[in-house]
Amino acid sequence: MSQISLNINGKTTTADVENRTLLVHFIREQAKLTGTHVGCDSSSCGVCTVLLDGNPVKSCTVFAIMAEGHEIKTVESLAPGGVLHPIQQAFWDQHGLQCGYCTPGMMMTSIALLEQNPNPSEHEIREGLSGNLCRCTGYNNIVKAVQQAATAMSTQAADD
Amino acid sequence: MKLEYNGTEQVPLGKDAVWAFINNPEKVASCLPDVKTVVVHDATNFDATVSIGLGPVRGSFKFKITLEPQADGQRMNVKINGGGFGSVVDLLAGADIIDNGNNTTTLNWSGAATMRGPIATVGGRVLDAQAQKLIAGTFANVKTRMAEQG
Amino acid sequence: MTTEKHAMGKSMKRKEDPRFLQGKGNYIDDINLPNQLWMALVHSPYPHANIRGIDSSAAMEIPGAVAVVTSKELNAYKVGWLPTFHGLDKQMVLADGKVLYQHQEVAAVYAETREAAYDMAELVEVDYEPLPVMADPYKSMTDEVILRPDRENATNHIFNWNVGKKAETDAALEAADHVVKQHMTFQRCHAAPLETCGCIAEFDAMGRLQFYVTSQAPHVYRTALFLVLGIPEDKIRVISPDLGGGFGNKVPVYPGYVCAIAGALVLKRPVKWIETRTENLTSSFARDYHMDIEIGATKEGKVTALKVNTVADHGAFDAAADPSKYPAGMFGIVTGSYDFPNAYANLDAYFTNKMPGGVAYRCSFRVTEASYAIERAMDILADELKIDPAELRRKNFVQPEQFPYQSPLNFIYDSGDYEKTMNVALERIGYKELLKEQAEKRARGELMGIGLSTFTEVTGAGPSKHFDILGIKMFDGAEIRIHPSGSGIIRTGSKSQGQGHETTWAQIVAEELGLDPQNFLVEEGDTDTAPYGLGTYASRSTPVAGGALALAARKIREKARKIAAHVLEVSEHDLEWKDYKFNVMGAPSKSITMQEIAFAAYTNPGENEPGLEATLYYDPPNMVFPHGTYVAVVDVDRDTGETKVRRFLAIDDCGTIINPMIVEGQVHGGLTEGFAIAFMQEIAYDDEGNNLATNFTDYLVPTSLESPSWETGHTVTPSPHHPIGAKSVGESPNVGSPAAFVNAVIDALSPLGVKHIDMPLTREKVWSAIRNAEALAAD
Repeated sequence: MSQISLNINGKTTTADVENRTLLVHFIREQAKLTGTHVGCDSSSCGVCTVLLDGNPVKSCTVFAIMAEGHEIKTVESLAPGGVLHPIQQAFWDQHGLQCGYCTPGMMMTSIALLEQNPNPSEHEIREGLSGNLCRCTGYNNIVKAVQQAATAMSTQAADD
Repeated sequence: MKLEYNGTEQVPLGKDAVWAFINNPEKVASCLPDVKTVVVHDATNFDATVSIGLGPVRGSFKFKITLEPQADGQRMNVKINGGGFGSVVDLLAGADIIDNGNNTTTLNWSGAATMRGPIATVGGRVLDAQAQKLIAGTFANVKTRMAEQG
Repeated sequence: MTTEKHAMGKSMKRKEDPRFLQGKGNYIDDINLPNQLWMALVHSPYPHANIRGIDSSAAMEIPGAVAVVTSKELNAYKVGWLPTFHGLDKQMVLADGKVLYQHQEVAAVYAETREAAYDMAELVEVDYEPLPVMADPYKSMTDEVILRPDRENATNHIFNWNVGKKAETDAALEAADHVVKQHMTFQRCHAAPLETCGCIAEFDAMGRLQFYVTSQAPHVYRTALFLVLGIPEDKIRVISPDLGGGFGNKVPVYPGYVCAIAGALVLKRPVKWIETRTENLTSSFARDYHMDIEIGATKEGKVTALKVNTVADHGAFDAAADPSKYPAGMFGIVTGSYDFPNAYANLDAYFTNKMPGGVAYRCSFRVTEASYAIERAMDILADELKIDPAELRRKNFVQPEQFPYQSPLNFIYDSGDYEKTMNVALERIGYKELLKEQAEKRARGELMGIGLSTFTEVTGAGPSKHFDILGIKMFDGAEIRIHPSGSGIIRTGSKSQGQGHETTWAQIVAEELGLDPQNFLVEEGDTDTAPYGLGTYASRSTPVAGGALALAARKIREKARKIAAHVLEVSEHDLEWKDYKFNVMGAPSKSITMQEIAFAAYTNPGENEPGLEATLYYDPPNMVFPHGTYVAVVDVDRDTGETKVRRFLAIDDCGTIINPMIVEGQVHGGLTEGFAIAFMQEIAYDDEGNNLATNFTDYLVPTSLESPSWETGHTVTPSPHHPIGAKSVGESPNVGSPAAFVNAVIDALSPLGVKHIDMPLTREKVWSAIRNAEALAAD
């Protein structure tokens, strides 16, 4: 057991955990943020995707202890005060979710993608999201949602 | 997943010495590569714990080993069953022991292994090469130890 | 308050989405009860073996270890075996004396933490004596090794099912100008929702079982638990929270559920169990039908007879999720959209050393297998007769005036206009131009294929005279309560897994009552509050629960009429429901809205019973028969065998559309699963019975990169008997699309002489088919 303190969504959570505790379990069970899910145990599905210093990582493949000193962002950080982030709004508008299980991870990857490439082509979006599986939507509307968010975020950036 | 292997080893020892060696569980067990512990139950039965690393499948595997010397002293069969981490290996091996007359002995060996579980699925892609290495290593050890003894 | 009238047919954004978008969904693993234990399962590495002993001493030394349970303990409580859904077999909860498939559950361990439970599971030592393995139904049918000595008859044959007229069909095939024959396999696959299954069982202070579980059919679970445990239903509450997809995977009652409940009962603490992905992929399956299909036809291409012989691989237990009287599900839909004068289908099911199941994976009970077989065979017939596949279909469609259509395999199709739908599809895809392009490419040796599927499916099980599960008739209940403000709550026995019931159910009720769909709370999944219903699978929600809702709303409207008459001081016979309100006939200025009536129901009901609510159980008079035309256009790389799906167009006819946005989303999702089945998804076994697809690195689920961009459209042929004319759509794309993909690839390869390749059409298989064909041509 080791005591670690992780900065998740700007808030520090301190807990005693086993060295083998995965980041996703720390986020869900110690920080009580259950929007980040577990889906495959083999880094294939991406429902556990969070941002680590702005980069998307599959939190089932990171030990909690490795995340100390880094800044972690989860889906719960996206709508402070209940105002939806443009990516959340876009997933809603474009019917980019059905069961909702992949959605948090899918949105976190999308945000990182749009940070690096604010105006991606359809192919670039499909490539950028290929580490996140969805069994419900067939991806069409997820692609549309990312396109809508790209427009909204670049307009927002221009306004700032 | 089923794998079959066979080969031939020349041992610089007479047939009787070879026969005595392969009928000694302690000595046979010591020839397994990466063997961690050996518990001998009787003249033909022993358990061995061996370190295995096959791609992402890594850890200790526990094997039950039974020596089945054939009455005519011409052949030794070995049954190995065991596993770990949800995987199992069932191995049937045998060697014909041929006296070359010049104080050397030939071992004509063959074996068939059935593997199940992650060792076969996740590790399957590297299993064949690893198994060959393991078997070749065992017989190389047999040869070396016998030579040391001789 | 603004009222959004005309709720029906609107692409209303989903009411459930805000919680999912903010990570506030409430899935099974998000629920934790105070003092809960974690459970993990020990699985067999052997596909077939006797169990000589189980040693849990090392496992119990793990810090935090609480208990190890095997079949011995379960049998002592008489819960060692479970009845299967149709009641024809029973299945082990934990291996009892022997294991029958790889990964079968052998022991359950309980610990203070998840980590300790997994550590324990690794240390339970099981002494196995391996037995010969039957991993193939064609092998097990020899009865060389009897897999189930616990059964009365010493045979691996489970049942024979047949429908239609054999003698007439054989005679017609004999007399036909041309007969095509093809053996085809619909491979074993798995629904693989992204959320695995799981549960938490707790016996509360009153001794009542609170059972949180990933279930598509909570009421069926409650009844099944009553049957297995003997606990009366008032002492069981089944709560199915938000489901991260289901697709049929969350219909069976899994051994882990029984072990969690048994643990909670004996250890007197809540027990939580969440499947690993491997456990999810190795505990049930779908499909695995091996079909020999024959079609007889005139030389002009008019079909005269259809015969299908099927060998079904049911695995170790006959646990197929089919209605009791339909052990081969709705396979009788195999005549499809075509007017066969003669047809016969015969099926034999066998036990093998594979996991049990036969779940309806995005499929109304074996409709997918049937649809694939007929749509593939029609293409083979077209190829052999050198008739364009669209023309061949046109010649043989059941015609609009033939509805209601009595099929030779005992279904009465409700409605359809197959040619209209196909024409829309051919026009939109530009069929003629594609054929021209294909001819040019073929001249250059390039491999381009066009694949059609003009499928009909049968959904909405079902009418109580035919359909039951565990003896419970397959109706559904709906309850609507209208509050004084004109808002309300809707409850049904269905259970959304992402289909959007919280939105579409509100739309149906709002449309019937002229109220605002935004002001309805839809609640499902809690057996304490939801009316009885058989759940959501087999595309039955809209056909059955949706019908119940519309009729319950109409019952409310009739009650409202009485209150309206009282408030307006007229006779109820003078009122007509028009423009979403009650109007006094002949006095256009006098009318009352449902919102006003709702208020009056609680403030001024007059002589009427106060309140405004209704509960209704709907027993559908018939099934519904959605149909569609799908067109796939593919390019196959001759050197690598890689298939690129260039275009895919789906024109669906699902009857009345409640929410076009949701319908389109369902089609996109189903097409992607059909694409996956056609090209990559397979639970393969080797000869030794090893399961070769136990995780997502081996069981391939398509990503955004390889998934095609889908084109959709629709025609509308309402169901004449459904209260709102709706059929269903969730499964059509998965039922109809595999044949379109395969037809397209085989069409691309047909210049080389390739006639058929079994799914999944992996690059390697297509490459081999091309190389073999080239080698044959060179000889």
